[in-house]
Amino acid sequence: MFGTHVKKDLSAYAHGELAPERSQRVCEHLRSCAACREEYEEMKLGIRLAECLPQAEAPAALWDGIEAGLARDAFKGKADETKARRAGFRFPALSWRAGLSFATVLLLAGAGWLYYRATRPAWEVASIEGEASIAGRVGERGRLGVGQWLETGPDARARVEVANIGQVEVEENTRIRLVETRLTEHRLELERGTLHARIYAPPRLFFVDTPSAVAADLGCAYTLEVDDAGRGLLHVTSGWVALEKGERESVVPAGAACLTKPGAGPGTPFFEDAPEEFTDALTRLDFEGGGREALEAVLSSSRPRDTLTLWHLLARVGEADRGRVYERLASLAPPPEGVTRERITSLDADALAAWKEQLEITWSSESFPKLRRTLRKLLK
Amino acid sequence: MEQVAVMFEAEKGEAVIEACKLGDRDAFRLLFERHKDRVYSVALYFFGGDEALAADVTQQVFLKLFTRIGQYHGEAEFTTWLYRLTTNACIDEQRKRRRFLQFGEDAEVGEMPERGTQEDAVQRGETAASVGRAVAALKPKLRVVMLLKYFEELSYEEIAAALGCSKGTVASRLNRGHKILARKLGHLRGSLVRAGHES
Repeated sequence: MFGTHVKKDLSAYAHGELAPERSQRVCEHLRSCAACREEYEEMKLGIRLAECLPQAEAPAALWDGIEAGLARDAFKGKADETKARRAGFRFPALSWRAGLSFATVLLLAGAGWLYYRATRPAWEVASIEGEASIAGRVGERGRLGVGQWLETGPDARARVEVANIGQVEVEENTRIRLVETRLTEHRLELERGTLHARIYAPPRLFFVDTPSAVAADLGCAYTLEVDDAGRGLLHVTSGWVALEKGERESVVPAGAACLTKPGAGPGTPFFEDAPEEFTDALTRLDFEGGGREALEAVLSSSRPRDTLTLWHLLARVGEADRGRVYERLASLAPPPEGVTRERITSLDADALAAWKEQLEITWSSESFPKLRRTLRKLLK
Repeated sequence: MEQVAVMFEAEKGEAVIEACKLGDRDAFRLLFERHKDRVYSVALYFFGGDEALAADVTQQVFLKLFTRIGQYHGEAEFTTWLYRLTTNACIDEQRKRRRFLQFGEDAEVGEMPERGTQEDAVQRGETAASVGRAVAALKPKLRVVMLLKYFEELSYEEIAAALGCSKGTVASRLNRGHKILARKLGHLRGSLVRAGHES
């Protein structure tokens, strides 16, 4: 009988939208009615097809138009508010000219405030995996304003656009803060975790503050890690980075790394392919009060390429040991003309710079990821 | 576990909406990022693949949403409210255009454009592209119901609330929509089986 057919209920039945009794009735009917069964098969095919419907991605530029629209609306709202206030309140002592001036000042102040809101500096953040939180708010995209923290949890990574000069990728369990962003300086704070920075800008425009040193970009790509104790590891993959704390500075080229420790600042940079004996002795010398024994181990295991480390050690060891460092360095790479032992041991700035300039040619290198893992162990 | 995740999401959603009511621009952005693709998709399929028009309508929807968010008091689901704004914006826009273009509601819409490279198209699947074109060619009142059901995964009750019609009307329109898709794209049954869509 026609009255018992259930064709009009078939989509709702398939979607589980019917009340239990009704659903039971449709089920029983389908067992006995070939016509409805046939229609149900057709409906199921339609549903499966609809489930393939691809979702489109909204154009990235949409937000700009919305922000502009919001700014317009807010401006209009301010203007209306001002008008309403004026309508409801008499200014007995004001002439129409004074009132007009007053309204203009209000409008200009409102526009200025809106302009400030619209143009206040912030960096675009997009999730690579999982969700990051900005100022405690979680999402896949956002803007990191000055003073705000960006935090990633386990299995979450995010990409931050550093104004118009580069990108920073933030690894999981990382916490960073935008300290400053202006034409002459862009500065992040890395409290803990790992970031990869790639900067296309003149030197000393991008800085990362860590608990134990400041990484100053000299035109490069690098990875910076900070553990929970505030100790850091810088690994440079391209160009140069300077690590600074007070008057202590380590200049780190591609392929080299440098450890940092709270209270001690940046350690002495070294190439990642250096022998383990060399890097172990250097860690003892920099951070564990290794003294002369550690210095001797560094000098004896140094290779021609390790002039990067030895040059930095000249200014870091005591006067009594400086001669030993000079001799080993000179044996690996003789100083340029005019740079004498006396000038170097007395830390003559020009002589040190001249020798460094000559050595720098040999300091360019590729990165060594396997050894980077060994270096991480040193942090533990 | 899934229920806990849903509750957590709901809680976050409420916090974001409250922040929006206070005028927090970052919260607006978060809300926009969370819903933009679905709103845009509804508009895109509604207007038969007109990307510029879909972008325009999406902007209108979010502007309206942000300027009126103070009026949202949580009586209905937020998504219901959002998609009421979306469908109203689509219908209003279509009315405006019809005044000028003399297109009837029943007019066939244009083909959905093939977007992206050939490689992308292969990845998305020919089936999906064909379904997109077929949905875009449905009559608007059927199309809207299908879009709300399959992009937003709204219940019949939520769709009815968003469109201001009865649940029975929603069921009837979905019936018709499914039937049209099945008849137009019956030849794709095999590819659905291969893709693992067969129940």
